[in-house]
Amino acid sequence: MNDAAPMRAAPAAPPATARRFDAFAIAVRFQSVIGLILVTLGGIVFSPRRHGHILFLAPDNMANIVRAVSETGIIAVGMTFVIITAGIDLSVGALLSLCSVLTATIMTSGGYGLAPTILFVLACGTAFGGAQGLISNRFRLEPFIVTLAGLQVARGLALVISGNQYINISYGQGPGLAPPVFAILGDRLFDNTVPVATLVFVVVAAIATFTLNFTRFGRYVFAVGGNERAARLSGVPVSLVKVSVYAITGLVSGIAGVVHAGQFNFGSANDGTGYELTAIASVVIGGTSLFGGSGSMIGTVAGAVMLGALANILQLNNVNAALQLLATGAIIVLAAVLQSLVRRREGLGR
Amino acid sequence: MDCTLFRRSAGLLAGAGALALAAGAADAASLVKDCGKDGKYVIGFSQANNAEPYRQHVNDELTAAAAKVPQFSLQIADGAGNVNTQTSQMDNFITQKVDLILISPFEAAPLTPVVARAVKAGIPVIELDRRSLGEPGKDYTAFIGGDNFKIAQEAGKYVAGTLLPDGGEVAVLEGLPSSTPAVERLNGFKDGVKANAKIEVVAEQAADWLPDKAQTAFAAMLQAHPNIKAVYASNDMMAAGARLAAKGAGKKDGDIKILGTDGLPGPAGGIRAVAEGEWSATFTYPTGGPEAIDMAKAILIDCAEKVPTVVTVATTAITPDNAKAMMGK
Repeated sequence: MNDAAPMRAAPAAPPATARRFDAFAIAVRFQSVIGLILVTLGGIVFSPRRHGHILFLAPDNMANIVRAVSETGIIAVGMTFVIITAGIDLSVGALLSLCSVLTATIMTSGGYGLAPTILFVLACGTAFGGAQGLISNRFRLEPFIVTLAGLQVARGLALVISGNQYINISYGQGPGLAPPVFAILGDRLFDNTVPVATLVFVVVAAIATFTLNFTRFGRYVFAVGGNERAARLSGVPVSLVKVSVYAITGLVSGIAGVVHAGQFNFGSANDGTGYELTAIASVVIGGTSLFGGSGSMIGTVAGAVMLGALANILQLNNVNAALQLLATGAIIVLAAVLQSLVRRREGLGR
Repeated sequence: MDCTLFRRSAGLLAGAGALALAAGAADAASLVKDCGKDGKYVIGFSQANNAEPYRQHVNDELTAAAAKVPQFSLQIADGAGNVNTQTSQMDNFITQKVDLILISPFEAAPLTPVVARAVKAGIPVIELDRRSLGEPGKDYTAFIGGDNFKIAQEAGKYVAGTLLPDGGEVAVLEGLPSSTPAVERLNGFKDGVKANAKIEVVAEQAADWLPDKAQTAFAAMLQAHPNIKAVYASNDMMAAGARLAAKGAGKKDGDIKILGTDGLPGPAGGIRAVAEGEWSATFTYPTGGPEAIDMAKAILIDCAEKVPTVVTVATTAITPDNAKAMMGK
């Protein structure tokens, strides 16, 4: 893998320590993959067993884990772009909720067809995200503030459009009914094994990995996050890149919102609360630095799955919710500490 | 136990009866001085937070009940989940000299002083669903609401007696762990299933009232305990999530008995889910709206000098027997 910090010039490390340093840096670069392996091993050890079978490894339990993380995973993938530019997007959970409400409302109110409805919702999500990027960039406002406001606006719009009700999606032919094919988002394919929501996550993650690692845009994203002034002087369209990454989080929130509506057969202004924090945690655990300039898409995906696997093993053992929160918190701190150690070794301070 | 006992809206009838009795007694001074006057009465309702679907349902029921009394006009102020906003709205009601105040305090302690101010200004205050810190009948006029423990207990008894008379493994999906209703409903259900010694609660997980968390948690429960025969969800949305998890595990509707709580109307609510055979039952959390308007009528129009200080409105069990009929209501 070469997707972490390719834009940053490697500091001239003293030859004597070079070997050890590399091992440590590589370990941290793939910390979430290593973490995922550790959690999986822990899952195997602590899993309840039945007739000698390890429940944690049962295929349908694996399917449950990857289904449960698909919505926050889709969002985390988009969030990785934003965080690599040293930005943040707090509006994603509320935007997911708004997009699920839009999907449900349009599906049940008129015969616009499946594809136009989904495309319209995705366009709305992208426009919302892009607008936040534009405002933040044009008026030089902290993305933290702009997207915090965006969170309120999206939640408010969702409440207004839904009239504080769950918008139920009924399937069938005729006015007010959604096309039955939309319900596939809540199903599992291949002999009831692979959740469709997970397939969406895999496709989104694959496209994002390619975009980040193998396109000019991906290199621009790293450049803007690594050193904005240098990027500008080298001819990188900094403003365009910074607006684009928020359009991307808007788009992935829209995708997650459509998936949410399809999985649960309703749109709700109350759902998606706290998703932004789970997504940011997945990205940070995945080894992407909140200071920008370095990050890994594979790491984010592994981080998201790791959080899901951890919750699953605790739930299989009927451990209470408080301990689940404590465990997640401890892992986030550990991931951040490891990153900080690497930065210090690289001589970048802090 | 025979479920027909609680299938009737017993509380509604009992509450109305008690009010009639109170109104019947004569001589002593009435609760408000200018009661029984001609013309309009303004009732102010200070709602905790309109953004919750259940509270919207309360508003709807209260509005419908008030519309049946031609003398009443109802004003609803939304506290928006903020004690400061709710306090200033209460102060506005006092300034306007409304005839009666209904309030669902967002939090108990911070709203207690403004309730006292209203009572001191001579305005009767009926607390709905949530209480302030004072004592009903003394610091405010009365409390009307459901009893979370009893509602969940009825659900537990229904599982113990009707759904699983031969016993079996049962799971519970709890609400947000720090909230009072979550704790009361969890304990109530566990108390209710004690009626049948062959029932074992094998798993309980918090899903914070949310369908997505409920789906994830119940999927894991089914992995660990594939013989789970029934799941009690502490609200309707978590029951919807549990059904999706059961479906994901290859179960058909009815294979696992799913029970909800709240019994909200509408296409996304629990009553429809029971009517269509997706769940086995849901237990209404009564809004107390009609009872509150009845009490307001007793105080303002009938010049009652005494009303019951605590009215507990009973739950209605929504089962396949009555779900279709309830949908029309």
